[in-house]
Amino acid sequence: MSQLSGDPALITPLLFKEKIKRLLCDKRGFSSIVGAIFAVLAMMSLFTTVFLWMISQNTFYNEEVKARNQLEIDRLNERIKASRTNYTIYTNGKISVTTELQNIGPLSVQLTTIWVYISNASCNVYNFTRFSNAYLKAGANSTFNVEVSVAGISSSSTYKFTSWLITGRGNVVPLEEYTGKILIASVAQGIGALQNNFEDFKYYNVTKQGSIYVLANYPNGASGYLVNQGGEGIAFQVLVTNLDENERTIVLLPSSVLFSMFPTTEQQIRAAFWYIVNVNGSGVISSTYTPVTLSFGVETRLYFASYKIITGGDLFSPSKASFTKTAPVNLALIGTIGGSPYGQNIPFVSIYINN
Amino acid sequence: MPFNSQKNLISLTRALSLVFNRDKRAVSAVVSNVILTGAVIMVGFSVLSWMLSQSSISRMQYSEAVNADIDRLKERLGFEYVFYNGTSKSLLVYLINCGTVDNVNLTTVYISFANGTEIKAYSYSGFALKSFSGMIIADHKLNRGDEGYVVLSSLNFDSGNYLIRVATKRGSSFDYAFAV
Repeated sequence: MSQLSGDPALITPLLFKEKIKRLLCDKRGFSSIVGAIFAVLAMMSLFTTVFLWMISQNTFYNEEVKARNQLEIDRLNERIKASRTNYTIYTNGKISVTTELQNIGPLSVQLTTIWVYISNASCNVYNFTRFSNAYLKAGANSTFNVEVSVAGISSSSTYKFTSWLITGRGNVVPLEEYTGKILIASVAQGIGALQNNFEDFKYYNVTKQGSIYVLANYPNGASGYLVNQGGEGIAFQVLVTNLDENERTIVLLPSSVLFSMFPTTEQQIRAAFWYIVNVNGSGVISSTYTPVTLSFGVETRLYFASYKIITGGDLFSPSKASFTKTAPVNLALIGTIGGSPYGQNIPFVSIYINN
Repeated sequence: MPFNSQKNLISLTRALSLVFNRDKRAVSAVVSNVILTGAVIMVGFSVLSWMLSQSSISRMQYSEAVNADIDRLKERLGFEYVFYNGTSKSLLVYLINCGTVDNVNLTTVYISFANGTEIKAYSYSGFALKSFSGMIIADHKLNRGDEGYVVLSSLNFDSGNYLIRVATKRGSSFDYAFAV
């Protein structure tokens, strides 16, 4: 004892060893240790599993939130432009809706339903048509035609139309009618109800096959601004659109003519004229004439090729230009608009004719 | 020798008696420790299993809550068209399920003025949900991509703006403003 107290360096290790020895020999604390170990294990296992599981649940939830946000972003990024919409009422109570769709967004779009609302002073009706498989790829253009049955409408009445498309993401796409901006252009270009498409002005040489007259190189033709005359005569193709403010139908009579004046001398001018004709899908010119109907907003091809007015006993005969070189051209149209007399002269283009 | 033998025997007996008495005390300590340890182990296991079962129940409930939240998050109804028939005093609300979850269960429809003042609330049995083909959807459920319309009767609207709110069983609500 005196030795221990005399050597302080040996006191601590000996006491520690003594403590360990006592601890190991003391059985009274063993149950507490086992209990504590159990408690720690239980707590650890519980906390670990619950913690990991909650993390996984939170991750799962966050992923769904991200997916939901992505859906919202997709929905907001959906961009469909529906323009140049036309409505045609059939006698069977169906409406044909034609529109030009353009997907200007970055996502493909599913179209689910089209709605049409029709109204006038005495009528207020609507209906819809569902699509089974209508998709529009990103950047795609498509002309879209669908029929919608609407009870209680008549093809002889005038209505106001409103229509819209529903997309799979729940967006509503309004269909814009072919009005408004067109009238501005029509005033400048057409000066009247008819608008001329200056970029699609063509000519054909008329050839005779047996007893029928055919447009050579139909339907491609060639630019009407530079004409190389050949065959039996010349036929001009003009693309016009009826943009009447009141959306009336125009009917063209056989006296409608495309004519040109050739400044041959200082004192005289000479003319050439091509009356309106009917051409079928194969490019064959009809010997008789059936009045051409121009529905509102519909681009229609008109052909001018006859030397004289096709009426009564006067059948089609081809027309040639007796004079060549530069000549201004006028398009003098005669007919009816909404049943009333109508006439329009489109100061047209200039042409150059070679023989 | 006999004397020595007797003496030795006595000494041995005393020694054994001493040893025996000491071991008796040790045995009781060991037994008590074993019993105590066993009890602790048993209680430990039972507490552990109880806690695990409790945590399992909690996890299940939490999981259900999270899944319900997720499903609610996925719910989306789009309004295609709302038409008021002044003659029959009924309102037709055309809907599309444009969300990403099935079984969107329409429970209540509220009609209110544009300022939010409620006009009428239609409970589950107070309105009919029909498919676009006119078939009644008895359980008021729309699956993904399904379209249907709600018929609300006995509504006398003056000209003006109104709000409609469609509430679902999962707790989502979808609003739409319309004019009469």
